[in-house]
Order: sequence, then structure tokens, then C-alpha cells
Amino acid sequence: MQRHTLNILMLIGAVGLVTAAYAGLLDNYTLTVLMFMGINIIFASGLNLVNGYMGEFSCGHAGFMCVGAYTGSLLSAALFAGGKLFGAPLLPPELAPLFFPLILLVSGLCAAVFGLIVALPSFHTRGDYLAIITIAANYIIISIIENIDAIGGPRGFFGMKKTINAMYDVADLPWMLIWVIISVVVCLTLLYRLVTSTGGKGIAAVCQNEIAAEIMGVDTNRVKITAFMVSSGLAGVAGVLYAHVYGYVNAQAFNILKSTEGLVMVYLGGMGSMSGAVLAAVAFTLLVEGLRFAIPALNDVLHTLNILPADFEISQIWKWVIIPLILILLMQFRPEGFLGNRELTQLFPKLKRWITFR
Amino acid sequence: MSLLEISGVSQRFGGLLALIDFNFSLEERELVGLIGPNGAGKTTVFNLVSGFYSPSEGEIVFDGRDTRGLKPHQITALGLARTFQNIRLWNDMSVLDNLRIAQYHRRGYRLHDALLRTRRYRAAEKRIEVKCRDILQMMDITDLAEEFPKNLPYGLQRRVELARALSTDPRLLLLDEPAAGLNSADVDGLIRLVRWIHEEFQICIWMIEHQMKVVMSLCRRLMVIDFGRTVASGTPEEIRNNPDVIRAYLGDDSL
Repeated sequence: MQRHTLNILMLIGAVGLVTAAYAGLLDNYTLTVLMFMGINIIFASGLNLVNGYMGEFSCGHAGFMCVGAYTGSLLSAALFAGGKLFGAPLLPPELAPLFFPLILLVSGLCAAVFGLIVALPSFHTRGDYLAIITIAANYIIISIIENIDAIGGPRGFFGMKKTINAMYDVADLPWMLIWVIISVVVCLTLLYRLVTSTGGKGIAAVCQNEIAAEIMGVDTNRVKITAFMVSSGLAGVAGVLYAHVYGYVNAQAFNILKSTEGLVMVYLGGMGSMSGAVLAAVAFTLLVEGLRFAIPALNDVLHTLNILPADFEISQIWKWVIIPLILILLMQFRPEGFLGNRELTQLFPKLKRWITFR
Repeated sequence: MSLLEISGVSQRFGGLLALIDFNFSLEERELVGLIGPNGAGKTTVFNLVSGFYSPSEGEIVFDGRDTRGLKPHQITALGLARTFQNIRLWNDMSVLDNLRIAQYHRRGYRLHDALLRTRRYRAAEKRIEVKCRDILQMMDITDLAEEFPKNLPYGLQRRVELARALSTDPRLLLLDEPAAGLNSADVDGLIRLVRWIHEEFQICIWMIEHQMKVVMSLCRRLMVIDFGRTVASGTPEEIRNNPDVIRAYLGDDSL
């Protein structure tokens, strides 16, 4: 029983959150931040598979998130909303909550296929080349979507809004929060199962010594492509959730800046550490949101102290000075990240008594 | 049928002929040595056999199958394993995991089995774990199971690398300078270990080694190459007294 303590606590926490949201104890802002935390957890731990466990460098992972977001939104619009592009909705709106997991799955698979398309030509080269190819892929995906006027082009796409509303019509539950929580649990479970299996450990073997891996019987090409597909698939799932939490999707939201956020989270947490990626995603989300309040406060303080010239304001743009600065400092003083290639249970072995994972 | 049949193999790197018309065959359960001065092309032979290079000319047949065009991991699956001159362990994972991954090609389940933890997955992982523990025990390194190789002394790293190679279930084991960097006490231990592995696992071992003590006491048959050419082959006594071999190692006194 003791071994299940943490699992039960997490279950209670999740149910508690949903109940609180249902009872209206959480305001919209807090809810949104919580949901983005979940989305970031999926995005970061997926990226960690390639950049951490496998030691490759994917710099354009937001591209796959974009593929997922658009596939999911279009599917969702086609199934439940209809419109100029799709004609009548294919399914009655009452089915929306039932079909949302399917939308997540299909969009994840679609993003994984895009991952495969990028991976196939680029895995004959290693290191820097993959970084360049993934950045290029990120730009290509965004440009293509921005230039398809039927799905909104640069104005973005709203079609999935009706699906979200349909879910609330079926039952007045905090649906998106529920989906985010379920997705986080499912994605992390699958990832954990992958990296602890003998087949999945081949990923780390490729990272640590590719020649030895190949000679010892690991099909390195297959391992690399599998890891990349799983990773981009998870980015896709994160993308669908992102689009549905916002109720709006725009290709520019998944530009290189978003990819960089993913990198920051992976390196903050420690490469090749699942618990590290999760912790970093939580910390990063809180940091970004914290700065939203901290920057105006700092601005006010500096103005009252007359340190800043009266016509100079510190705006939110400074967020993108502070976050990279944190990354630089991290690389200087703790290059291995929070946990650095280890799991929480390895750092605190006593934790093992409270946890079961399978 | 021979276990390994190399016929007329040459390997060119740009203008350099690293190996010229190499012919060799190995029978099951033999213990054979390959020696020669530095740069003679010994490791090239191993790299060709393990599929790391594809020969410019000639053919290599392992267990009746032409290995040209096969990738190294496919050749490993046929039953060939090797160790490296400079140890290549996966340093940031446990010794047990090192052995476990060496059974990647024998895991017998697919991605979805791992993700869904099917019965097949659990049975396979159990089998792999038992096998790894067995090998650790046979190699007398059970207590190192959870250690990371990078924290082990050199001699133990060599032993772990041997254990990992055995974990792939080989029929032919290639050892590339297993005694390199070992002190003389360790070398005696290694000789006993290799002899024991050869008898216990009933496999064929082909080794490159510079230390004459090792090859002379272990191998029944030796082959000497120099500048990519086969200089001699025969029993240790024949090799020891062969004038061509002496010339290859000590130089020609007519110069």
C-alpha cells in the first residue's frame, strides 16, 4: 500500500483540481496556467526523448506541435462544427467528449508521420545537421499553413471552438482540464514504459556510444527514427491541447520561439531525466507567468526610486531577455540542469518506497 | 562448413591498401590469434568481419551467409560479437543495462508491446533479466550490476565489455587486444578467463593481441599480417620460428 502513496496522492490531486474547477473555486487565469503547465509537461518530456535520451538536437519541435494543433482543430471542426470548408458536421455535437481522445490520437499520429518525414533524410547525418534540418522544417510547416487561406492563413483558425462548446453543452464539466490531466498521465506513462524497456534503452545506448550500439545488435537507425516519431507525436498531442485550451490557433504561435521554450525546459530539467523535464516544465510555466507580474512591479519600483528615466518603461518584451539570461547562467553554473541525467528517485532513493510506476 | 570463411578480401581507404587478398577460415569452437605490428591491418579485419566496413573486394561468409551489404547489427544477430581495442561501454547506465541492451536483437517484442506492457513484453524482459544476471554471475561481477562502467577500474571495464559481448549470445567472439592496458597479474587473469569462456560457452574466439604471452598460451593457431599482407599462419611454435615473422617484427638485417 505504501508504494502506492504517491500515485494515490496524485489521483487525489487531480480529482481535487477538477472538483475545484467544477465548483468555480479556480478563476479562469489559474485554470489556463494549470492547463499550460500540463501542455508544457507533454511537450518538454517528448522533446527530452530526442534531445536528452538520444543526445540529438531537434531545434524545431514546435513545428510538430503546429501540425498537431492544426490537424486536431481541423478534425474537430470537420466532425462537430462544419462550416464553409467542411459542409455539414459529420457527427452530432453530443459525441464531442467521446471523440476528443480520438482527435488527440489521430493528430498525434499525424505529427509523428511528419516527424518521420523530417527524420528519414536527416538521420544519415548527425548533430548540427539535424538541428538545421529541424529549424528548416519548423519554418516550412509554419509558412505552408500561413499560406493556406482556406484554414485561415495568417489570421488563424477558430473552427474547434464549437467542439469545445459542444462538450460543455453535454455536461458542465471542466472538460479541457480533464483532457489535459488525462493526456499528461497517459503520455508520461507511455514515455516511461518506452525508456525503461530494453528496446527503449537502445535510445540511450545510441547517445552514449553509437558505434557500440550498432555492433552490439541495436538497430540504430530504427531506434533513432522511433524516438523521433514518438517525440514529435507527443509534441502533436501538446499542440491539439494548446489549440483547444485557447479555442483559437495561429501558426505563428509555434515559431522558433516556441521551439526555444521547449529547449529551455529540457536543459533546465536535465537531459535524459523524465522527472527533470516535468519539474522544469512546471517551473518554466510558473516563471513565465510570474514575470508577467514581476516585470510591471519591477518597473514601478525602479520608477519610484527614480533609477529609470521617466519616459523609459520595462515592458513584457524583457521576458525574452530574462529567460535566455537564466539559460546562460544555468549553462555556466549548472550545465547538467536541475537533475542532470538522473531521476528524482535516484537522487532521493527513499522516494522509491512511495512510488510505483509500471 | 566453416563458421567463418573470408576469401580474397581487400580493403582500400582512398589510395591506401589496408588489407590485400586476405584469406582465412574459422571452424566452430576454435581459439585463434591474429597478430602483427602496429598498423598491419588487424583491426581492419575485425571491422570488415563485424560489418563496420564493406570489403572493396572479396567475400565474407558467416555461418553460410554472405555478410556483404548487411549492417553490423544484422551480423550481430547472426551470432557475432566483439570487444573493442579502446573500451566502448555505455558509461552512463548500469552494468546490468549494458548487458540488457546487448540483447536488443533478441528481445522478441515490438514497440506496442513495450507501451502496453503485454504478456509477451513481460516474459521477454524477465528472460533478458535472468540471462543478464546469469552472465554477471558467471563472470563473477554480480556485485557490479548497478554500478556505472565509468566508475570502474580499467580491468573491470574490460571484464564488463566481455560480459556484454557474451550477452549477445555469440557463436563467434572477436576480441580486439583484450590485454591492452592490463598489468601482468591482470593478464594472467585474462588468460584464464578467456580459456574458461572458450570452454564454458563453447564458442569460437578470434583474438588480436600484442602480448605474445597471451596468444602463445591460448591459441592453437595463429595468423600474422603485416602491411595488409598475410605473412604466415600456423601453430605458435611454427610462428615463433618463422623467419618472415621475425623480419616483420624486428626488421630486415640486410638493410
